[in-house]
Amino acid sequence: MSSDTTAESKFHIHHDAPAVVGRRERLGVRLVIVADGAFVAGMIFSYFYLRGLNANGAWIPKGGHTMAASSGWIVTIPLIVAAMVHKIGTKSRSAVTSGIVLLAMLVGAYLQWHQLAHMPFIAKDDGGRHFFEGGYASSWVLLGGANLFHFIIGTFIALGLFIRGFRAKVDPTLEYWRQLTASSWFTWIAISGVLCAITTSIL
Amino acid sequence: MTTQNPNPSSNPSSNPSSAHEDQQLAPTPGQRVTTLLKRTDVKRTLIFGIFWTAVFVVLGLYAYPKWMPEVMSTDMKAMERIIVGFTVISAPIAGLVLGIATQALTNRHKGNTPPPDGPAIRTNGPVVIVWSIVSGIFCLIAVVWGLVELNTFANAATIDERTALHVEVTGSQWVWSFKYPDLGVQSDKLMLPLDRPVFFDVTSVDVNHSFWPLQLGIKVDANRLQTTHINTTPDKLGRIDVKCAELCGLYHAYMETTGEVMTTADFDNWVTTNGGHIA
Amino acid sequence: MGTGVVIGIIFAFAAYYALRPNADTTNFYNQQNKALLAAMFAWSIGFLIGIGAFIGPFRWLIGKDLTAEEQLYLAGDGQGIKRYFKYCTDHKVVGIQYLVGVMAMLAVGGTMAMMIRTSLAVPGGHFIGATIYNSLVGLHGITMIVAMIIVATGPFGNYIMPIMIGARDMAFPRLNALSWWVLFTAIPVLCSAWFLGGIPTGWTAYAPLSVQAGPGMNAFIATIIIFAISTAVAGMNITATVVTMRAKGMKWNRVPIFVIGSTMSVALAIPAFPTFMLAMVQTATDRVYNTGFYDANVGGSGWLYAHLFWIMGHPEVYVILLPGIAILMEIAPVFVRKPLFSYNAAVMGFAGIAGLSVLVWAHHMYISGWTPTLNGPFMVTTEMISVPTGLLFLVMLGTIWRGKPWMKLPMLGLFAVIWNLLIGGITGIYLSDVPADNYLHGSMYVTAHFHYTLMGAALTGAVSGLAYWFPKMTGRMLNEKAGYTAFWFTQIGFQILFLGMFIAGAEGQPRRVVSFASMYKYYNMISTGGAYLVGTGFIILLWAVIHSWRKGDIAPQNPWGAKTLEWTVPYPVPLENFDETPVITSDPYGYGRGN
Repeated sequence: MSSDTTAESKFHIHHDAPAVVGRRERLGVRLVIVADGAFVAGMIFSYFYLRGLNANGAWIPKGGHTMAASSGWIVTIPLIVAAMVHKIGTKSRSAVTSGIVLLAMLVGAYLQWHQLAHMPFIAKDDGGRHFFEGGYASSWVLLGGANLFHFIIGTFIALGLFIRGFRAKVDPTLEYWRQLTASSWFTWIAISGVLCAITTSIL
Repeated sequence: MTTQNPNPSSNPSSNPSSAHEDQQLAPTPGQRVTTLLKRTDVKRTLIFGIFWTAVFVVLGLYAYPKWMPEVMSTDMKAMERIIVGFTVISAPIAGLVLGIATQALTNRHKGNTPPPDGPAIRTNGPVVIVWSIVSGIFCLIAVVWGLVELNTFANAATIDERTALHVEVTGSQWVWSFKYPDLGVQSDKLMLPLDRPVFFDVTSVDVNHSFWPLQLGIKVDANRLQTTHINTTPDKLGRIDVKCAELCGLYHAYMETTGEVMTTADFDNWVTTNGGHIA
Repeated sequence: MGTGVVIGIIFAFAAYYALRPNADTTNFYNQQNKALLAAMFAWSIGFLIGIGAFIGPFRWLIGKDLTAEEQLYLAGDGQGIKRYFKYCTDHKVVGIQYLVGVMAMLAVGGTMAMMIRTSLAVPGGHFIGATIYNSLVGLHGITMIVAMIIVATGPFGNYIMPIMIGARDMAFPRLNALSWWVLFTAIPVLCSAWFLGGIPTGWTAYAPLSVQAGPGMNAFIATIIIFAISTAVAGMNITATVVTMRAKGMKWNRVPIFVIGSTMSVALAIPAFPTFMLAMVQTATDRVYNTGFYDANVGGSGWLYAHLFWIMGHPEVYVILLPGIAILMEIAPVFVRKPLFSYNAAVMGFAGIAGLSVLVWAHHMYISGWTPTLNGPFMVTTEMISVPTGLLFLVMLGTIWRGKPWMKLPMLGLFAVIWNLLIGGITGIYLSDVPADNYLHGSMYVTAHFHYTLMGAALTGAVSGLAYWFPKMTGRMLNEKAGYTAFWFTQIGFQILFLGMFIAGAEGQPRRVVSFASMYKYYNMISTGGAYLVGTGFIILLWAVIHSWRKGDIAPQNPWGAKTLEWTVPYPVPLENFDETPVITSDPYGYGRGN
């Protein structure tokens, strides 16, 4: 029987060395990122397909509203900050870096929510029914919603890392690998944010 | 795969008896073939293979044309040719596959204990290569044939717009309606003149339908607020069945109508009788 | 599980009550859709909370990881039969849960199929009427598709695969339990469609019909979104397990072919299913918030739905097919006592199919009118798939060549599949040809084609797997006489059912029709007769499985004399599978004279 990973355990789901377990967890998260990436790629495909089709000229209809091109970039800044700060602070595992990342996630989530709550392109038809003006509007809201979802997951992870910085009595190697794994996630959502920002600035 | 019985080598080993053959003069290809044909399993495979090939040839040449509806346009003719042709071409493949499988069944082991070990053939390089090449050739034949047919099929550019007939097809839950804009006629039956190219402009007012005049061998979806196009030239007189080929709600099954391909004289007659004018 | 159900129901009602539509008719349907969808997701989340699925992440969040004792408890140590109803991380428990779940789904889907065929025995559609018929068609489709996606990788990918690669469990045991229970929550959601008026679409749920559909459509949407999450997690788990947890010495060319095929299948599923989820999310936003993804009036298009759907839909059928074929390749060497013929060709065949499958999706859209000039390239990529598929045939045929097949239950399926996949494959080539598809699309010919591949090949492969691994999963032998009887009833019935359907399709009968012209009545009646044989066969199989599980002959540790690792462990398989993880020195196909 191979040796246990921590001092007190007799049964562990994994009997492997912490680095092996950590690497495995990172692979798992990366595979989930592939799935999420496919979803984001699908949304971007959706955006450009409807833009190319411009069915009935209603991609952005006459008198239709758009978001400023900078709107996508504003919410991407917290994502980039979080990814960079997290990567730099990985080795130290300090509460400060985790705290900054957490703050960035919360700020970003608020900004994204604010944008969604104040969308200019919801129109009303004669029967009083609300609807989205055109293809651009529909595609934009989905990209914004997905970004918000990324922020929420990111907040959970950042909060966990922050708390664990203080409390957890865990193997330092395994915890270091978990920081690396989280880095994969934060890097991915930053990339996703950039892709969405580029997409939505192409009207 | 246990630790007790390690596999001595990882080289793919072909038929062990070939090592024995090397000790004599290498046989000529003709001798190889005769030896091969003397084997029971090869003979049986050949017999079963020929049987199954024949089944598929008969299927292609006789059965399919019998089942499919009247051929009333060049597109339908091309379509039937493809089905028949592909069936006949795939017949030897089916023959080989089913021949080997049937032969194996005749050689089955009966009883409650495992059968004796077979020859340890892990691979046969030449067979794999030949198989891949041959299947690639069959694939290529299918692709080229398909592309050629597709090209002639879609070549609307060669048709003179002035002589062509335009029909606007509208699908709605759950009826078809046909409008002839140049002639000022509207109908719920698809009437067409013989030997005249017809362009269909198809749309829907609600959900996706699919415009399918069976005997003309064409089909195109009807989408709301979009217009799709398809064209053909009916070249035989007779009845046409028009069905909907996309589930469009409750009465999708009943969304069908008929029509007819008639002589130009009869067609002009029909147009004028229904309040239109001949172009 | 009881707690889960109670909390789930409470959450569902709370969500519906909070969002319930008022009498204001302007937004009534939007509100109703929102309330129903929210209730369905609330049910799922509530159930998962109740069953303790989130304990792991929650404890991670607050920095108090699960102790060894807690992990042992989660693995079901010493809990007897109760652990099958709990959130249990033992991969063998999850495998059995999947097996029972899959059997239940196949039973429900099969009953729907029997109702469909009964209605189609004669023209007129008077047996059940159009509304119920159309709902049956769509719900039979989605039930079977979901069941078929998990039929092999669920039970056998979970129970057998880790043992087969010499691992003690899956890479992420808690996520393994999660993927099963998430799937479980989708089942009542799908069933609720019946109480909400059914669905008017097929399982492909094309827009705009899906956007205009009644409340039952929400059940379909929620099911898919929930199922996509389950599949992504399960696919990730299987892939990570096979990549990182193979026993020492198990290099890639020594991995059993079942593991290779299944892993490629789930790895393909990981990027594919999210696009289906996206298509459904967009349908949902169209229904709830009046976005315009699929409404050409506001810049949308039904073609967008078709693209997103089929970008998933075509890889998905290979996700279904590959494990079934991989199972048969695993079985064949054992029962002819010869090595697997050309392991490399098998791997290339699977890889070729998986790789090409992401390039072919628009062959489902040839006649949609989207961009006719691009039909040609998609025809080329689609027809190219016949080459790697041919390699799979070569491997199966090469393995039985010059062997004496031992015709025990697991081996029956191999011969049935050779026939079924041949017919399915050849008819697929017709459909891939654009001019031919102009006639065949949307007809019963297509229905017969995909039943030949998905049911005739993939399902038969999975049932062979059940017969093969039954001794290791239940400790008993599956009753041979009953199994043989079931085999003949189902396979002969299958041929009658679907060959008759090919003919009706060639004659011009559209698909998904409750009624048909009287010229098709002859072959429809024949098909229905075949369906009853199939139904009888599956009932016999179900009886055999239940009876053998409870009272069958006790199985020896390795009844088939196979060389893969799962046969080196006793039944009941110990909690961590092996006392000492094995060291591998060769592949598991060392059968035959000279080995």
